[in-house]
Amino acid sequence: MKTFWAFARQHFHATAIYQLDFWLRVASTPILMYGMRWLWITLYRQRPDAFGVSLQQMVTYAVLSMAIENLFYTGPQFYMARQVRSGAIDGDLLRPLDFHFHMLARSTGEMLFRIIVIAMPAMLVGYFLFDLQLPATLQTGFLFMVTLLLGYLVNFHLDFLLGSLALVTLEIHSIGWAFQATARFFSGQFVPLWLFPGALGIVANILPFRAIVSTPLSIYAGVLRQGDIVQAVGFQLFWLIILLMLSRWLWGRVQTRIVSQGG
Amino acid sequence: MNGFQLYFRLIQISLQGHMQYRANFIAGILGLIVWNVINLGLIGILVTQFTSLNNWTLWELVFLYCLWILGHSLYSLFFSHTNQLEDYLIEGTFDQFLLRPASPLIQLLGRELQYNEIADLLIGVTGLSLAYAQLALDWDGWKWSFFIMAVLSGAVIVWATNLLIACSAFWTGRSRGTFIIVSPFYGLVQQYPVDIFGNAFRIIVTSLIPVAFINYYPALFLLDKLDYTSSGWWLSYMSPLVALLLIGIVSRVWHLALRRYTSSGG
Repeated sequence: MKTFWAFARQHFHATAIYQLDFWLRVASTPILMYGMRWLWITLYRQRPDAFGVSLQQMVTYAVLSMAIENLFYTGPQFYMARQVRSGAIDGDLLRPLDFHFHMLARSTGEMLFRIIVIAMPAMLVGYFLFDLQLPATLQTGFLFMVTLLLGYLVNFHLDFLLGSLALVTLEIHSIGWAFQATARFFSGQFVPLWLFPGALGIVANILPFRAIVSTPLSIYAGVLRQGDIVQAVGFQLFWLIILLMLSRWLWGRVQTRIVSQGG
Repeated sequence: MNGFQLYFRLIQISLQGHMQYRANFIAGILGLIVWNVINLGLIGILVTQFTSLNNWTLWELVFLYCLWILGHSLYSLFFSHTNQLEDYLIEGTFDQFLLRPASPLIQLLGRELQYNEIADLLIGVTGLSLAYAQLALDWDGWKWSFFIMAVLSGAVIVWATNLLIACSAFWTGRSRGTFIIVSPFYGLVQQYPVDIFGNAFRIIVTSLIPVAFINYYPALFLLDKLDYTSSGWWLSYMSPLVALLLIGIVSRVWHLALRRYTSSGG
């Protein structure tokens, strides 16, 4: 655990060096919040009775979604792809440290940095300017944080799996991009999953992506009922365990492949 | 060689470089198609659930989106290297453009052909054709020529806006940050009709970052959504003028910037 935090802290500081870009990202988030809020206000004006969720809940969902968006760009995929391309992955593999563990520490450091520098200021702005409601109860707020953490872990492992593939295919950029678009679609980041029609809704409910964004946001906005919350958390854990095992397995296979490639 | 010939010669060289990696080429195109289909899918879900978005129907929104994509694809296919200006300035490699006996701007633009943007071009054309059929549009010659003008103006507006932002690096050393700030405006205007966002937003994307002229304003006219009693109706015809104006500003700024330039290289 001490090693974990050492790496997390190191990457936290490494990210902090590029502070200017991050602050600008903070500044750009309210523009999206503003846009999303107007979008839902316009839609609700047309059909105020839509889907049993109040406008206030919907705006909270959409604004919060923009505030935490940046937390999901902390995966190791691009780092891994870059290391493979430059050959520097050798150095990572030589460390007397489990690679998967190392990546998790790295990403967590960056995520914590983004929570403090981007997500929390953005939530404050959302609260004061864009009708972002506070969670209904303390318990809801706590559940939001727990499910957000689980969502982060699910996202990390999906990203790690994709990064592992980069070691085989050597180029991952375009695939990664298409994957990210798919993930954002099915995670409910822009359009909440309860609006998805028929078959699309069923697919979205099976895929792991809803564990990343939809679950924490729906809990925060008070859309999920008590029983649904238990089920949603169970779903997150279920996919987390599967993806964790898959990551360990795939990495094991890929790693031996690198060894055999090296000369 | 004149400027045009030189530009296309440079592009040809870049393309030959890219063709060495054929798998990337295909993956890149597929990636872009997935990306756009998903964006349109999200809009589609919203509109089918709520029947319209501020009186914009599904196919009108597809038209709006694809008008942007088409203009933007022309820009990013040929000139997307514009955004990389900052890197040359920081690394001091901009000097190479000044040493060669050709226009530095053409050398910069000819640096790269963003070949997988072909996908955007295809999506733009396909989407617009589908929308044209679904909306049962029937344009006369005047509307067709306006449409072509609008697409070309769109490409020029994206290019000029981006080059102006990139040029700020000549003075401040950095321009990436400004791109981060404006990119949400680009995204929102691309996907949604400007009229849902309130006045402050409309004023910004009409004057300060005039990207609403890429798709929103021309679409109002092309889709017969123009309300001639509203105060700003004439803005719908202004895209070509805005494009010309921006070209004027950009060439002025570019010359000022070159005169100001001092290398960071040692």
